[in-house]
Amino acid sequence: MLQLSQIQLAPGAEVFEHDFRAGTLTVVLGRNRSGKTNLCRLIAGLACSATGRVVLNDQDLSGLRPQSRSVAVVFQAFVNYPNWTVAENITSPMRAQGVSRRDREARAKQLAEVLGLEALLQRLPNELSGGQQQRLAIARAMAQQAQVLVLDEPLVNLDYKLRETLVLELQSLLQQSGTTVIYTSTDPKDAFALGDEVVLLDEHMKLQSGTPLEVYRHPQSFVAADLMSDPGVNPFTTKATMVAAARQAAVRPEHVYLASSPPAGEVSEFQMQVLGLETSGDETFIHGAVETKRWVVRCPGMVQVSAGQTLPVIVRNDDIMRFGVI
Amino acid sequence: MAAIQLEELSFRYPGAEADTLAPLSLSVADGTAFALLGASGAGKTTLLNLLSGLLTPSSGRVLFDADDVSDLAGRQRNVAQVFQFPVLYESMSVAENLAFPLRARKFDPLWIDERVQRIAADLEITQQLPLVASQLSLFQKQLVAIGRALVRPDVSVVLLDEPLTAVEPRMKWRLRQTLRRVQEELGVTMIYVTHDQTEALTFADQVAVMAEGGLLQVGTPEQIYTTPSCEFVGYFIGSPGMNFVDAEQLAPSLSLLAGTQRVGFRPEWAQLQAQDAGQLRGVVKSIQLAGTEYGAATGVVRLQTAAGQIAVRGQLDVTVGQSVGIHLARHLCFSAQGQLLLEDYE
Repeated sequence: MLQLSQIQLAPGAEVFEHDFRAGTLTVVLGRNRSGKTNLCRLIAGLACSATGRVVLNDQDLSGLRPQSRSVAVVFQAFVNYPNWTVAENITSPMRAQGVSRRDREARAKQLAEVLGLEALLQRLPNELSGGQQQRLAIARAMAQQAQVLVLDEPLVNLDYKLRETLVLELQSLLQQSGTTVIYTSTDPKDAFALGDEVVLLDEHMKLQSGTPLEVYRHPQSFVAADLMSDPGVNPFTTKATMVAAARQAAVRPEHVYLASSPPAGEVSEFQMQVLGLETSGDETFIHGAVETKRWVVRCPGMVQVSAGQTLPVIVRNDDIMRFGVI
Repeated sequence: MAAIQLEELSFRYPGAEADTLAPLSLSVADGTAFALLGASGAGKTTLLNLLSGLLTPSSGRVLFDADDVSDLAGRQRNVAQVFQFPVLYESMSVAENLAFPLRARKFDPLWIDERVQRIAADLEITQQLPLVASQLSLFQKQLVAIGRALVRPDVSVVLLDEPLTAVEPRMKWRLRQTLRRVQEELGVTMIYVTHDQTEALTFADQVAVMAEGGLLQVGTPEQIYTTPSCEFVGYFIGSPGMNFVDAEQLAPSLSLLAGTQRVGFRPEWAQLQAQDAGQLRGVVKSIQLAGTEYGAATGVVRLQTAAGQIAVRGQLDVTVGQSVGIHLARHLCFSAQGQLLLEDYE
């Protein structure tokens, strides 16, 4: 178990604690500059403005140099040894650890296979594409067989088909390895696809943690709901509470239905001014405005609506998320 | 604006052993929003360079309306281009940037002013006209770059090469929407190159899918998604892509066309059922959550079957390791070569 306590990700930020359970993959989800990289650097023991206590399996890591910690890191701006081949890069941490040649080669071959580098083992890093170099950095970090593997937005900038396969392969590889993995991302899809657990960070603060489905179903704040939604949630002000202070409410884009195919049960209707749409074939995002708020409707398949039209849309009352007084 | 006709067009770099672009024919009607979709290395940019006159074809012809422009230099073709990153005169105002292509061609100054106002109004950048280009956001700069391409009335075609690359993800749809609206209002022929299926399917009336220097399919977004011409297109479009299995692995209850070797189905065309139901058996390998519907978890289930791995979209009321039946509510038939088979229409 990796225990963080008295963590302050930036000077003046709220202090929090978090336990990363052994052998689980935790996705740390937050926007750019929310403190994700600081958290990674703190765990790895690298210079950063975050402070706090890091304990790995009852051993206090505070004060230990990065190389004395059983923590492997891959940053978005990855690093490989430019003069070594792909194979030498992957085996380098194992050479330093005194792993036998035979075991080194077997493990390097296995990692190369999973990460789609097996045909490139004799190349130099500068002969690889950006995506391949990133995968090499991941392979080298995994070769260390550290107890904790920190991946800071490792798949950013890869094209979507490659991402799709890599996410699946990483998932099975990491599950098999029994490593405690901390994976940061801005994309809730990663939290769903990879996360045993998710931690939401906002403005250097821990907002909420739990399994992806728990956090998705029961966000504790508007920001938490918005972070765990792609595109963001659709806000509105509940009419039923006119007497009391106005309450903030929101509904997820995938929980808004077209009036032409309404859901059953108790529902609320809204009128949306359509501003535009985009389709990927499997689903369509309809962008628009409800009253003065920007909304997105996410529906399966291809939908024929046009910009400028008023579209009646329906929301199940059970899908409405309500948050405290604003 | 012009209709564009490519006749057996090919390109091979001097000394190269293989064609970068295999001979292909294509026609784009006047006033069409046309997308070229493919992964990097598919030949999209080569094709674009052949259209703009940057490259000369190794064989075949490029026609703009009835004119053979194959041997014309770029300047003589009246092609306007928009690149990945906005190319503007940074020290000039937006108005001067828009007027520049017209002044260079000595249009009447009064008419130029009118034209610049019109294009700026279309793109909703009238307020930015007096600003110096360097003060604009990337989003606004790219709008101005698009304006520069549209401002000339004598342009045959506007070529756009991944024009949304530099625009931040949350703003992309708005720029695309504006582009499409202006394309319709002005009746411009636009050819839009992208590797992103959402961009292609959203922007275009017609999409051409390319791979390895060849043209795999040309059709409406709907056709490309629901009736891919071959396995590659089915897999490339959609996330996850279309599933393909050997027909002989499926229960005989499925109706197949003569010559069917492979069967394709989208993840949302299949349903999980009890172990002994459906046309295929599978064991659940992994479950990928995407959200909830009516409060119940939904997403993608990946299964191991005798016919290989497949993905099914829907409710996640199964567990890893469970054996299930897979019912294909809808499917397509493909030949041994992976080509789509269609029923004969009378």
